[in-house]
Amino acid sequence: MAVDLDRRATSPGTPTAGRSRSPVYVIGMLVLAALLARFADPIRIGWLRNLLVVFGSLLVEAMPFIMLGATVSAAIEVLVPSSAFAKIGQLPRALQMPAAAAAGVAFPVCECGSVPVARRLAAKGLAPSAAVTFMLAAPIVNPVVVASTFVAYRGRSDLWVMVIGRFTLGFIVAITVGWVLGRVRSGELLRARDAGTEAHEVHADEARWARFFGHLTGDVIFMTRFLIVGAAIAAAVQTFVPNSVVDRVAHLPVISLIAMMALAFLMSLCSESDAFVAASFVSFGPAAQLAFLVSGPMIDTKLSALYVGTYERGFLRVVIIAVAATTLVATMWVQVVFG
Amino acid sequence: MTRWSHARIAAGLVLAAWAALFWFLWLDGRTMLYLSTRTAWLIPMGAVIATAAAIGRLASARVPDPEPLGDRETWMLGIVVLPVVILLALPPVTLGAYAAGKRSSFSGSTLGASARIVSGPIDFVDIAASQTTKEGQTALRARAGEVVTLEGFVTVEPGDGPDEFRLTRFIITCCVADATIAQVRVVGAPPGSVTTDEWVSVTGRMYPLGNDVLIAANGAPHQIPVPDNPYLTP
Repeated sequence: MAVDLDRRATSPGTPTAGRSRSPVYVIGMLVLAALLARFADPIRIGWLRNLLVVFGSLLVEAMPFIMLGATVSAAIEVLVPSSAFAKIGQLPRALQMPAAAAAGVAFPVCECGSVPVARRLAAKGLAPSAAVTFMLAAPIVNPVVVASTFVAYRGRSDLWVMVIGRFTLGFIVAITVGWVLGRVRSGELLRARDAGTEAHEVHADEARWARFFGHLTGDVIFMTRFLIVGAAIAAAVQTFVPNSVVDRVAHLPVISLIAMMALAFLMSLCSESDAFVAASFVSFGPAAQLAFLVSGPMIDTKLSALYVGTYERGFLRVVIIAVAATTLVATMWVQVVFG
Repeated sequence: MTRWSHARIAAGLVLAAWAALFWFLWLDGRTMLYLSTRTAWLIPMGAVIATAAAIGRLASARVPDPEPLGDRETWMLGIVVLPVVILLALPPVTLGAYAAGKRSSFSGSTLGASARIVSGPIDFVDIAASQTTKEGQTALRARAGEVVTLEGFVTVEPGDGPDEFRLTRFIITCCVADATIAQVRVVGAPPGSVTTDEWVSVTGRMYPLGNDVLIAANGAPHQIPVPDNPYLTP
């Protein structure tokens, strides 16, 4: 069994000459974390217990979706020729964006799973604006989320306002963000991965199965580190900011919409469960609840971390402004009509 | 001539660690500490995908021209595996009284509560659901005075008397992050018989009072262990 120890010392990409101590420090950090978690009894402290449970649950729920998304993404990479997406890319933009949003209906995962798929679609030649439209629409328009919204509001007078409103506004906002991004090229949109990371993921001359697992592994590890940061921030917000903080503005026309969008951003809920939480804000009208349900699956704390890792600088700012502005305008109309 | 790639082995081991976490949560019965019964299937799915990915990566770890594992990449992999280590090392733990003060109340409108409350035994979800709809309140009022037995953990709010406390449960739909609270007010418990965050079983007569539900306890609450499924799912 030959190991490339000698190569490590001479490789130009290696940050330190000779044997690195990083693995020792990393293992030491992991052992220390395990000892603290096991024997320091952190669960005696109320806020720390809350933080750890929420952090753990966000990760445990999101990771399988990340893995599923990465599996689909890797399959697209090794099974679908780039020419297939190039042909779609030649379609008129007026057709591409609605088609991309409609494709979300057939992808029943929540937002964490759609990010790696959208990245891969853009990298393979689909117009980046269409890939982003798909990414934003899929977590809202897919049948599982439509059904969960129906169940959450079943028996209420505003049932159909919420179900149809969420689907329609999700569609509209996703397409609008695609239009805002315009004719940006994938090289301008997608953030390049670290050279060292990218290089060892796959070799072009490897067997297809090996390339599949290379892409799968690369996507999972790449996304997970950003997911961890996002989940930690979301858990901290849920630990220290009470939900009741927004109740005071429930009856203020525009402020209530902004407050619910801000809350959705901070809470980082899965799109398949957020309707149940939105329904619990009974002091807010349907427009404010729609603002929560439409903006949350497109922009939130954990997604922001994923976007920063996946897309170039500036993308997060554009998406937050475009999603927030479009959702606000759309839900203001809903507020005028339905309250 | 092929050699082992340290980078690929390390990545494969990180995936194996995640796979181990999912298998552990599943086989040790800890799924319900993080997810609801509706989303419990995610754990086996995560276990299978992570296991397959780890095996696939390790099986493809011998390459003709292996790249070294850099310092920055080593730390990144360490960060990715850090939550696994913490969750594996933590003892079983659930949300408690601290979280109850931060959460919204459960919305009964999600259930068609009145239909459930008209007949049959009343459970915590029914009572919680009834508190936010007029139909639910009406249905629950029709059963005022009935004896119920409820299990939950103890929380105390400012203004509660010495013989009062709140019996609380969290209701989750997908994961703990979306938890909302269901509470009843228990009166008539012997002072000092319960402590905050303690899990107890309370038996008493149930009286709906507006948006509140009051349980007049028959004697001291019984201490119980934390249930295997501490969260309720509507």
